[in-house]
Amino acid sequence: MTATSEPEAALGVLPRADGSAKYSHAGYTVTAAVNGPIEAQRKDENPYEAHVDVIVRPAAGVGGTRERHLESILQSSLSHIILIKNFPRSLIQIVLQVEDSPENDYVNTKLVQGNLNFAIMPALFQTAVLALLSAGVPMRATATATAVAVVFHDGVKRTVVDPSPREIEIARSVHVLAFTSHDELLLAESEGDFIVKEWDEVYETAKKICCHSAPADDGMQMALDEEAAAGPDMRHFLRSTMESKVAADLYWK
Amino acid sequence: MPREAEPSLNEKQFVIQALQENLRLDGRELEQYRPLELTLGDQYGVADATLGKTRVLAKASAELTVPYTDRPLDGIFTIATELSPMTSPAFELNRPTETEVLLSRLLEKTVRRSNALDTESLCLIAGQKCWSVRVDVHVLSHDGNLIDAACFAVVSALRHFKKPDTSMEGGVLTVYTAAEREPVPLSWLHSPFCVTWSFYGEQGEIAVLDATWLEEQVRVGSCTISLNRHGEICQISKLGGTPVEAVALLQCSAVSLTKVKEFSTYLDEKLAEDAKRRNKGGLLAELSAENDR
Amino acid sequence: MPLDTSTYSLALLRVDGRRWNELRRLHAQIRTQAAADGSSYLEMGHTKVMCVVTGPSEPGPRRGGGIGGGAGGQSKDAEVVVNIVIAGFSSVDRKRRGRGDKRTQEMQSTVANALAASLHTHLFPHSQINVSLHVLSQDGSLLAALINAATLACVDAGIPMTDYVAACTAGSTSTYAANDESADPLLDLNHQEEQELPSLTVATLGDSDRVVVLVCESRVQISRLEGMLAVGVDGCKQVRELLDRVVREKGQRMILEGTVEKGTGLNDLD
Repeated sequence: MTATSEPEAALGVLPRADGSAKYSHAGYTVTAAVNGPIEAQRKDENPYEAHVDVIVRPAAGVGGTRERHLESILQSSLSHIILIKNFPRSLIQIVLQVEDSPENDYVNTKLVQGNLNFAIMPALFQTAVLALLSAGVPMRATATATAVAVVFHDGVKRTVVDPSPREIEIARSVHVLAFTSHDELLLAESEGDFIVKEWDEVYETAKKICCHSAPADDGMQMALDEEAAAGPDMRHFLRSTMESKVAADLYWK
Repeated sequence: MPREAEPSLNEKQFVIQALQENLRLDGRELEQYRPLELTLGDQYGVADATLGKTRVLAKASAELTVPYTDRPLDGIFTIATELSPMTSPAFELNRPTETEVLLSRLLEKTVRRSNALDTESLCLIAGQKCWSVRVDVHVLSHDGNLIDAACFAVVSALRHFKKPDTSMEGGVLTVYTAAEREPVPLSWLHSPFCVTWSFYGEQGEIAVLDATWLEEQVRVGSCTISLNRHGEICQISKLGGTPVEAVALLQCSAVSLTKVKEFSTYLDEKLAEDAKRRNKGGLLAELSAENDR
Repeated sequence: MPLDTSTYSLALLRVDGRRWNELRRLHAQIRTQAAADGSSYLEMGHTKVMCVVTGPSEPGPRRGGGIGGGAGGQSKDAEVVVNIVIAGFSSVDRKRRGRGDKRTQEMQSTVANALAASLHTHLFPHSQINVSLHVLSQDGSLLAALINAATLACVDAGIPMTDYVAACTAGSTSTYAANDESADPLLDLNHQEEQELPSLTVATLGDSDRVVVLVCESRVQISRLEGMLAVGVDGCKQVRELLDRVVREKGQRMILEGTVEKGTGLNDLD
C-alpha cells in the first residue's frame, strides 16, 4: 500500500512563481504556486487585510462544488496563520494543482466532474504551507495536517492514519485535523458518524502525529516542523529537506 | 489583475541585436530546442513535459457516456486547456485570454482534427454507449513555447494512457476494473507534433525555434507547423504578424520535419522504457494469470 | 472523395466548372455605409462579407468578444480590435455560434494581427481601430474574404498602410493518403471542395511574395505544400489587382461627382 510511503517535498519547483512546492505523500502528489502579495481585484479588495485566494484544480476534469468546498476550508484556515493584517488591500494567491491521487483499483471512477475526496485535504494543506514558506509570506506559525479514519473491520474498531481510498470507502468516519506549530488545533473537519469518545481518540492520534515534540529548536528562523504521518524520523527527513534547500540557496548567493 | 512585466527597451534591443548576430541569450543555435524531457506518471496517461523552464502536465482520462446524437458511431474526445493563475497571475480563471484560445485551437487542430485518435474505436454500442476520452492540459510554468510543449505532453499522455477493458457478450456490456483485467491502450493512428517558429527582423528574415518567454515578447511574428513523422502536415498557422517570404516558410517546414522525427523517436524510447519498468516485478505476469481464468 | 477526383481527372474541370487556376467572381464595393469611417462589401463567389471600420479613435470600454492585435490601447501603437459576427442564416445548416466560439475568436485574432502588420499603427498612439465584420453568406474561403474586406474598409477609412493585404485559398486534388505526384493544385476553393480536399489560406502583402497569413487546417503531404503555396501566392496577386481596381474606380467616381476636395484631379490618382 502506498499509505506507508514517506512524504517527499521539493521547494521552488516553478521558476516563475513567487513561491512553489511539490509534495507527495500517501499516493497524493500536489504542486502549489504562491503569488503574493499582489494587487487585488476590486471585488476582493479588503481595506484592512490581505485577501487569501485558494484555487484547487483537479488533475482531470473540471472543478466542481467539492473543490469549491475544499478551497473555502483551506482559505479560512490559512488566513489564520498568514499575517494578513500586514498587507492591506492586496491578494495572496495560492494555486494548488493536484497531479496524482491514489486510485481505487476495484472501482471505475467517473472523472469528468473531478471529485477530490476528503483525504486529499492534508496533502493540499501541507503543500500550501510549504509553498507559502517558499514564497516568504510572513506567517504567525507553520502548520501540519493529517487525515485519520475510523474503520470497523470484522467488528474491531481501528483508527487508520492516512487512509487509502479503499479504507475511506469502508470507513465509519473520516477526520482531517491540522495543528499549528504551537500545538493549537487549527482545523477539524469530519465526515460520517462518530461519537465523542471516538473523536477524542482521533484527536489524540492526530495530535501525536502533527505535534510530535520536536528536537530542541536549534535557533533556525523557520521552524520547519512539516510532518505528516509516519513518525518522528519523518519530521527529521522533511526538516532536512528544507534545511538543504535553504543551505543550497545560501550557497549560491 | 496584475499585468505581466514587459521587457525594457534595452532588454528588447539586446535580444534583437544578438539574434541578428546569430546569437541567443542562452547560447543555443537558432534552430536548436532547449532540452526536452518527458516524465511519465505512475498512473496511465500522466505525462509531464519540460522544455527548459516551461513545464506542462497532461492527464488523460476516460469515462463511459452516451455518444452525441448527431454522431452515434463516434466516441467523444476533448482536450481541455485552461490556463490557471499558476502559469502567471495575469491569467484569470473562467476568462480565456487570447493565448489560451489560440493554444486550445492549435491542439484541437493538431491532435483532434487530424484524426490522431480513432474516435470510432471509442464507440461501444452505436448511439448508446461510448468512451469519452478527455485530456486535461495543466501549464505549471510558462517560459515560452507553450504550444510545442503542450502538444508533446498531450500526445505523450494519450499514447501512454490505457482505458479499462470491455467485453460484449449477448448484448451485455461489461467494463472491467484495473484489478480484473489489464487496461488496454487507445487505438492511435499517428503522432503529430507542433514546431513553432518565431520571426525577427524588419522582414522577418531571422527564424528561430523554441523561443523563450523573453524572445517571444519581442518577436514580430510566429508560425506553428504541425507534422507527423511521415511528413504529413496536420496544420499550419501563421496568424498575421510581419510578412515572411514564402520560400522561407517552405524552408521552415522542411526543418520542422526533422525536428518532429526527433520528437517521435524520443517519445517512442520513453514509452518503451516505461513499459519495461512496469513489466518488472512480475505485475503483468500476475495479471495475465488472472486473465487466463 | 468521390466528388472531385473522379470528374476532375476526366475534363480537368472542377465541380463549378472552373479550371484549376481560376478565381471565382470577386465583386467588391467600398464606402457602402455613409455613417462609418470606412466600410466595404465583398463577394468571393457565394461568400459574402460586410465590413465597417471605426477609428482610429480613443479606446472605449472593451467590447466583449473582440480580440485585439498589435499593442494595447495604452501603448505607443494603435490597437486593432476585430469583431466577427457570423449570421445564423449564412450557411446551409443553421448553427448558432456564441460569442465564445473559439473558431471565430481565432479568425478575429488572425485578421487583427494581419492588419496590425500592414497598418501604420505607430502613427496613432493611445488609440484603437475597430473593425467589425459581418458574414452574410458562407461558401468557402471565409477567412480570405474577411481579410480582403477588412483591407478594403481600412483603405476607405483612410488609415495609412504599407500595402494591400490580399488573401485567397489554395488546395490540392490529392488526398493526404494518396501520395500521387500528378495531383494538381487548385485556386480559390468553394465550400464543397474545402470539405473534401486539403486546403490552405494565404494572405500576402501587396505585390511581394511575403506571406502575412498562412493557415492550413487539413492533413496534406509536405511535398504538396510548395505547389499549393505557389498557387496561393499567385492568386493573392490576382486578388490584389481586383481590389486595387475597385478602389481606383471608386476614387475616380468620387472625383467626377465632386465629393473629393477641390484641387484633386483624375491624374493625381496614381
